Amino acid sequence: MQFLETINTALKAIAANKVRSILTMLGVIIGVFAVVTLISLGKGVQNYITDQFNELGSNLLFISPGTGDFGGDPADSFARNKLSEKHIKLIEENVPAIDLISAYYVASENSRFKTNTFLSEIIGVSYVGNKMFNYELEKGRFFTKSEEKNQAKVMVIGPNVAKNLFSNQNAIGERVDLLGDKYEVIGIFKEKGSNFDDQVILPYTSMENTLDLKNFSSIVLKVKNGYESGFVMKQVDLALFQDLDPDEFQVLSQADILKSIQSILQLLTVALSAIAGISLLVGGIGIMNIMLVSVTERIREIGLRKALGATPFNIALQFLVEAVILSVGGGVVGLMFGALATLFAQTFLRAEMTLSAILLAFVFSAGVGIVFGTYPAIKASKKDPIEALRYE
Amino acid sequence: MPLIDAQNLYKIYDIGGTKINAVNGISLSIEDGEFISIVGKSGSGKSTLMHILGLLDTPTSGVLKLNGQEVSTLTENKLAKIRNSQIGFVFQSFNLLPRTTAIDNIILPLKYSSIPSSEWQGRAEKMLELVDLTERKLNKSNELSGGQKQRVAIARALVTDPSVIFADEPTGNLDSKTGEEIVELFRTLNDKGKTIVIVTHDADLAKVAKRVITIKDGVLI
Ligand SMILES: Nc1ncnc2c1ncn2[C@@H]1O[C@H](COP(=O)(O)OP(=O)(O)OP(=O)(O)O)[C@@H](O)[C@H]1O
Ligand SMILES: [Mg+2]
Repeated sequence: MQFLETINTALKAIAANKVRSILTMLGVIIGVFAVVTLISLGKGVQNYITDQFNELGSNLLFISPGTGDFGGDPADSFARNKLSEKHIKLIEENVPAIDLISAYYVASENSRFKTNTFLSEIIGVSYVGNKMFNYELEKGRFFTKSEEKNQAKVMVIGPNVAKNLFSNQNAIGERVDLLGDKYEVIGIFKEKGSNFDDQVILPYTSMENTLDLKNFSSIVLKVKNGYESGFVMKQVDLALFQDLDPDEFQVLSQADILKSIQSILQLLTVALSAIAGISLLVGGIGIMNIMLVSVTERIREIGLRKALGATPFNIALQFLVEAVILSVGGGVVGLMFGALATLFAQTFLRAEMTLSAILLAFVFSAGVGIVFGTYPAIKASKKDPIEALRYE
Repeated sequence: MPLIDAQNLYKIYDIGGTKINAVNGISLSIEDGEFISIVGKSGSGKSTLMHILGLLDTPTSGVLKLNGQEVSTLTENKLAKIRNSQIGFVFQSFNLLPRTTAIDNIILPLKYSSIPSSEWQGRAEKMLELVDLTERKLNKSNELSGGQKQRVAIARALVTDPSVIFADEPTGNLDSKTGEEIVELFRTLNDKGKTIVIVTHDADLAKVAKRVITIKDGVLI
């Protein structure tokens, strides 16, 4: 029997029981949909994070307190935080390949102007912060070296902060309640995308003063053009060893941080997709179940086909193709729903349906059809024609 | 050389220790162009014998030759091929594929043959003409009367141009007038040279055949 003819026969058998076939496919549809959607969402989150890092500017190194050992007690590394002005000096003196360097504080707090409040990310940096992190100003100016020195209560805000606190009114010169103090808005920076637009930037000295801080959340430095960051990291290590033990700080490059976040995300995506893949397995069991019912229901048809000259292989192939069409059909429909979900997710995330996810869906659904269709197919092919024809 | 030559056929079923000799030592030869009816009481072994002769079933022992070739030792795939090209079956309960048109039912054996698909339609249409059902070509099997169904089944048995047609109680589910028409059709086919073996327990129908074989308790009498 020609293969096309076999496919035709299988399609007819599937069409003969439409509702049942659709219900059977549903398991695979849900499985493939879940896997594909999770993969594209995972890809979207990865893209989001990469974008954020790229916005931050390149060639940045981060010095954070503690070893960055995720297994350790975070409170412990906080308590042993010794990063201070002294270490900035040590680096400035010993590492010539540094372009810019700044202390770095980060907190999350409400800011308030009259009756408007807005939860923003509050960043304390030095006056070089705008060059370091590529902030471009829409209005006003960034704070100066002397303002930093005098712990001036000034702030530069992101466009979202401006919109929410001042609802498009003039913001420059206004005084905002922040961290229990009053800060004057001196600049608004241009839209940068994602979280950045929610930020409020202060001189780190002012933030220290307001919150009575002593040790930096971290130190950020920008490597001079033409220097390799791996080499500079080693120099920074050596400079800090003059005052700190190896387990009291950690130097990370932007690429390192990005890589470790990416790998965590990837692991998460794979784990979630694998869990979603279980529903694919359940779908396969559903197909096997229906195919076994179908073999019993059509036992006279099997007997007849054998009497008319069908070989066991012909019969097995007919049932196997039917199972594979059910599962691949379910896979295609699931893929289409997944594409719709991805399209929808793209309204808020750079979700992506990767080619590998599409191939994976095909291979897996075909695999499910073959694995779970084989047993019923073999069972059908072994039916004795006489018994099959006598079957009532 | 006979078309079918059977020597000492036995078919013994063993059900929980008790043996049933459904076919109990039958020797028989069928020449090309014969019209034979096999008669006997219910349970005498007619169907079992026919299934063995038609290569649907294998004898417990004995030798079966088709066109002088030993066939009882062939593999399942070869038997399927021989059934497809050399043997046609007609059943009491028609066994048409449900929800399938008359023409597609007739084409079914061709799908398992080596006959090119370009010839299927033409061959099947010729068979429909032969059984006088041309105007029912596109009717599904459930839209046909019993007699029409059986005629489609006969057309299906003939479509690969087999050497012999085996019919097991082909009139069993039909009223007597329609049954006579079916037997008449077999007679016309035999007149054109087709070898035909009909199993029946209706003595009147059996008489239409040129040779009547009576079977009792698995042996010929
Ligand atoms: N699979 C089987 N297992 C056990 N016994 C069987 C089997 N098939 C047939 N028999 C027995 O073999 C004997 C012959 O059966 P067979 O069907 O050949 O009779 P028959 O002459 O065709 O009868 P009928 O006219 O009722 O169709 C019966 O006694 C039957 O019970
Ligand atoms: Mg019988």
